[in-house]
Amino acid sequence: MIEIIKKNKLLTAVSLAYVFLFMAMPDKAYLSVKNSMYYIIEMLEIMPVIFILTSIIEAWVPKEVIINGFGEKAGIKGIIFSFLLGSFSAGPIYAAFPICKMLLKKGASIANVVIILSAWAVIKVPMLANEAKFLGPNFMGLRWILTVMSILIISYLMTVFVKKEDIPIGEEKSLSKATGIDIKEQYCIGCGLCEKLMPQHFKVIDKKAKWKESTLNDTQINELKAIIDKCPVKAIDFR
Amino acid sequence: MDIFTASLWGITGAAFIAALVKDKQKTFNSIKMARGMMKNMIGEIVGILFLIGLILTFIPPEVIKNILGESNLFISTVISALVGSITLIPAFVAFPLVGSFVDAGASIVPAVAFLTTLTMVGIVTFPLEKQEFGLKFAAIRNALSFVFALIIALTMGVIM
Repeated sequence: MIEIIKKNKLLTAVSLAYVFLFMAMPDKAYLSVKNSMYYIIEMLEIMPVIFILTSIIEAWVPKEVIINGFGEKAGIKGIIFSFLLGSFSAGPIYAAFPICKMLLKKGASIANVVIILSAWAVIKVPMLANEAKFLGPNFMGLRWILTVMSILIISYLMTVFVKKEDIPIGEEKSLSKATGIDIKEQYCIGCGLCEKLMPQHFKVIDKKAKWKESTLNDTQINELKAIIDKCPVKAIDFR
Repeated sequence: MDIFTASLWGITGAAFIAALVKDKQKTFNSIKMARGMMKNMIGEIVGILFLIGLILTFIPPEVIKNILGESNLFISTVISALVGSITLIPAFVAFPLVGSFVDAGASIVPAVAFLTTLTMVGIVTFPLEKQEFGLKFAAIRNALSFVFALIIALTMGVIM
């Protein structure tokens, strides 16, 4: 129960406000519900669309292909790829951090990483549908155009101010010295892919993947390398 | 349902059927994943929607118009941008909230500033960003995003 309240602080506060209101000023409470009704109906009209769009994008946009082919791409092609990767993604901006970090290691430019981060944050496709619904297609379209232009300028300015040496890349550890696995919990979404593929090494506890301590030999290190690449949020690395 | 929403339903429905025909299992798996994401947000969505009712009932439109209207546009825009930078609510629930303010008479300029900094500038996630990309990258990216959010907002105000 306490867990549920903790997870839904806003909902709890609003519910309490309504309970209080229904007792103290029932007419105001009814008015509030009536005022909310319009937005609830609008939300119900658009939510299934966003839900299904997110699912389809997740399933059919070949994100792995985009990410893996990134290293060599530069120029206009790299910019377009970056916008696409950011626009067709799900989750909050910090979910993009480990993926961008990995792309930097693979040789992506700072400008393109900034484009991915920014596009990921502001111009995701399902969100554009939601924005058009509540603020109008013209509003959405104009903000999209201005945002894309701004992101391009920001990405250029970033390359002026920040050089690759400023970014803590962390040197490639020699694999033979790997002693174990490090899982960044703040990024793990508990999808369970690592557990499914290597139940002897991973276990998902409380929606976070955990590493089962064990010593590593060369075969295992190679197998683990494949898992590290497969992790959808790039939360796994050697220690 | 307006034409815009209806056409979105049409496009999405067609894409969904195409996805099902192509690979049923893959599509269902991704639906499961999306459902998990929705489940995490549903409390916030319901909370915000009912909060909108409270706001509209207790804050008269004149007050919203006064504070977020055309009169002191620059200050209200900068403050909205600051609020957007420190808030961490999913953009998904921000749109109906901002929409209700605009319907009540708020100018779109602070609205755009809030929406843009909400997603692009992250004070709460700053430590994480600093850890991954270094202080310089994180500080300059967030600062530039903040400035450009204001520019986007003011430009929208001029055009619309």
